[in-house]
Amino acid sequence: MLFLRDYGDTEVGGFGIAPSDDLLFVEDIQLVKQVCSWVHVAFDDESIADFFDREVDANRRPEQFARIWIHTHPGDCPRPSITDEETFQRAFGRADWALMFILAREGQSYTRLRFNVGPGAEIELPVCVDYSRSFLASRPDAWEAEYLTNVHAVQPVPSESAEWEPVRPSPLEEDPTNSWFESWFDYAADDENAEELLP
Amino acid sequence: MRVLVINNDGGGFADYVDVAEGTTVAQLFEQQVGSTEPNRYLIRVNRQPCPAHQVLREGDRVSITPTKIEGA
Repeated sequence: MLFLRDYGDTEVGGFGIAPSDDLLFVEDIQLVKQVCSWVHVAFDDESIADFFDREVDANRRPEQFARIWIHTHPGDCPRPSITDEETFQRAFGRADWALMFILAREGQSYTRLRFNVGPGAEIELPVCVDYSRSFLASRPDAWEAEYLTNVHAVQPVPSESAEWEPVRPSPLEEDPTNSWFESWFDYAADDENAEELLP
Repeated sequence: MRVLVINNDGGGFADYVDVAEGTTVAQLFEQQVGSTEPNRYLIRVNRQPCPAHQVLREGDRVSITPTKIEGA
């Protein structure tokens, strides 16, 4: 996600892919075709449908690939905008649950899980990188190709740029977290050689 | 007859369902989603956009996916 966020000057978005036995563990991020500016990202409807078809062909269930909506914000504010809230309600509000993750350019993040069944509920969640799990090697060439295939950058429209001010205060009244950057230090705290592994 | 339905609403669904002969796309949408706002979705049959009155055939693949996903 950091690679995708920092590759261009615009916002970028995608879907988190999760294993069937841990639906909040994002093991991959998939982009769809999208038009982006530095304050806006809009997914292509046909590309979303193609993405659903590919994921079903890969034997994934919708709850594994269609519930975690990820996008970036410019600057240091990850809080959802009016547009974000409208999308989260309209496009994800009929699923049993959905999660919105926003990563700001300066590292802060915002995550909110919403349950749409029963009485409904919403909760902000902490986010961390789980280094205890195995993961594949970095594939910057593949990430770059995916980015260039899907992301079409355009100049922002003035009326859009006025929309991005956050409108929803945190129910926890806490600052957005950047703990997912710091989680590596927590994980490696007992390792004397941890500092040597850092870039 | 059976058709494959892909739908993210509710618990999410990607499986074959039995439908009556002559069922149209609009009728399947009503059965599966029940929403009064089909314009919120892109509905495709066999990966192609389709009219609401299109009659489904055995083995068709119907996807009902969200539209206008945008952030700012």
